Amino acid sequence: MRHGLILWRENELSLADVKARQVRLQQAIAAAGLDGVLIYTNHVRSAGVTWVSGFTPYWSDGLVLVLREGLPIFLTALSKRVGEWVKSVAPTFEVAHSPFPGKLAGERLAQVGAKRLGVVELDRMPGGVVDEILSVLPVELSDATELFTAVRGQADRAELDLVRHTDNIAREAFKAGDINGKYAGDFTGPVERAARLAGAEECYVAVAPDLSKDRRFIRTGRQELGRTFAVRLSIAYNGVWVRRIETFSAVSEIAARLSSVSAELDRASPALAADGSISAFYLPNGAKLIDWHLEAPHGTRPLKIVADAQTPLAAPVPYGILTTAVILDGETIVASRPVGLGDMSAREAAE
Amino acid sequence: MIGEIRKKRLIDAMQEAGLDGLVLYGNAWQNDYLRYAADFGILEGEGLAVVTRDGEVTLYLDDELEGERAAVECPEVKTVVVGDLIGTVSGVIARLGNSRIAAGPKRHLPYGLAAQRGDLRFEDATALVDRLLMVKSADELNAVRSAARLADEGYAVFRNAAAVGKKDYELIAEIESFFRNEGVDDNFMIIGVGGPEVRGMAPPLGKILKPGDLVTTELTPCVNGYYVQICRTLVIGEPNEAQRKVFGIYNDALEAGLAVVKPGVTAADIARAENDIFRAHGLGEYVTSEYTRVRGHGLGLFPDTKPHILEDVNTVIEEGMSLIVHPNTYNPEIGYFVHGDSLIVRADGPEILTTTPRELFSVGARRAAA
Repeated sequence: MRHGLILWRENELSLADVKARQVRLQQAIAAAGLDGVLIYTNHVRSAGVTWVSGFTPYWSDGLVLVLREGLPIFLTALSKRVGEWVKSVAPTFEVAHSPFPGKLAGERLAQVGAKRLGVVELDRMPGGVVDEILSVLPVELSDATELFTAVRGQADRAELDLVRHTDNIAREAFKAGDINGKYAGDFTGPVERAARLAGAEECYVAVAPDLSKDRRFIRTGRQELGRTFAVRLSIAYNGVWVRRIETFSAVSEIAARLSSVSAELDRASPALAADGSISAFYLPNGAKLIDWHLEAPHGTRPLKIVADAQTPLAAPVPYGILTTAVILDGETIVASRPVGLGDMSAREAAE
Repeated sequence: MIGEIRKKRLIDAMQEAGLDGLVLYGNAWQNDYLRYAADFGILEGEGLAVVTRDGEVTLYLDDELEGERAAVECPEVKTVVVGDLIGTVSGVIARLGNSRIAAGPKRHLPYGLAAQRGDLRFEDATALVDRLLMVKSADELNAVRSAARLADEGYAVFRNAAAVGKKDYELIAEIESFFRNEGVDDNFMIIGVGGPEVRGMAPPLGKILKPGDLVTTELTPCVNGYYVQICRTLVIGEPNEAQRKVFGIYNDALEAGLAVVKPGVTAADIARAENDIFRAHGLGEYVTSEYTRVRGHGLGLFPDTKPHILEDVNTVIEEGMSLIVHPNTYNPEIGYFVHGDSLIVRADGPEILTTTPRELFSVGARRAAA
């Protein structure tokens, strides 16, 4: 679930920002000849609804129905008491309650005489919800993932600013970790605490405890840390997800080298294009790149791998998280940084 | 291994029901079905477990990072990472031919899976799996007991962290940090801060604790997949007379509910025992759905599982269930109030798991945030 601070912050993501996104989606709906688009949400598959409304459920699930015109409708089985909380953190849609939200969607679609409904990730929509819709209205369903991805792929200034802010939370939180700790939890516990104290909405910590043996990340507090280890911090803040991976060592000579690489990545990464290419990626002198992938928001997924050495990027993304693994002087270094945060006005001109 | 024990129970249940295969869906919110079969605590993306009657379990995940983690954390399960989760699993099921395949949980099963199954249709596995989830094996109950210790310790951390001037989300930060250090996979937790204006709990809102506030919380740590919950309320400063009086009512209601718990009674019997205490005090309105959701619920691989403790739920309570009884609801004098303990149903009655004293805790009004 989401445990952290969830608030409506007009200064970070304004009603006007969200309205502009809704209008862009409504224009695409009309252009595709659809009557509306339905987007599913729970706290794992939250990204679609978060983008179109600024809202993320802390628990349970719901649907957002975007019709060609008017305010989107959040359809939920959550109680009216929880509905008051929903309205307080997302004044961007109408909230409608029913033990059967799919049925309610069908009723709202019937009211506007809808015949064609696009569903983001139709294949993944809970079957019970689809059954409820069709029990009310025999509407023609089609997959609207591509349509949504095309609209969503365009970055806006508010989102990129939030990505920068969230990455700052992650960068600062790492400073709370004790590199001399014996166990993974000695490092990750204080890091998670720092991220949450800074207002993170959610925080997942994973660790590769000994990079000399394995660079796969697991969730553990109990494993002993090796000479070099990496920590992956996945943080949500105001609906935006960022991952940041840092590699650490208690050996001072290695630590100094790692610190220098980290600082250089911080300098170079934000301006890198999130285009699925790493030709401009900063590679320390003498380092050998052994792996990379690019993650980005996709459909209802906050972050999903959208490109790697084998798979080119299929569609533009609003921003990305580039993860790289390199070997430098015999040590494995893993790092993740947000990319595609370059000057917004330049991006707007390009688009 | 507890995963092996669960798998054996699952295969036995499948064979008894005459099923050839089982398809179980999960994500980080609804993970109990998937975890029962594959013993993986999924965090990102979605997963499907395919179980065949000969005991083979394959876990299909759509997230590469999660696949990597599953390979390390549960190496005994065959894990496959696929881009097209629905298409791949549909193909696997199609190769099982015209056999009896059940799937669940019914409401959450992806639409595409059922659509590609077409006329063959899935049988509904919900009742079969729900029963396994509710009535636990001895080893599962031991795992539940382990989680209870951390619920108590977690509440002690929460109490110690509460201070005038502290923000609600700062309390959560302390708890989550403690839980991560202790190897707690997950924690369901909501909070309320204030007085009569507080009608329920939610994620933190940035409220600053001040003298006189009630601070309510449900803490639900998850250890090796099993959740245990504790509900308590504390007051910043000395409790006033109304707060003491109301605490007495909720404590009586909790004890009345616990006193009823034994095999053979229904969920409704427990709820009625709790609610009768409120009705006796003229507070019957506040046990309705306008003010409260449930009077307790099952616990296990999901923090809010069946049976729901409500006066219209006639599920029979059985030995081996784990539950929380919590008469949580709004009180018009002092605001939302919570109080509850987790238990295991034994032949002779409840084994109470949480040991935190049942009292209205008070945090010195002079204790200030550092």
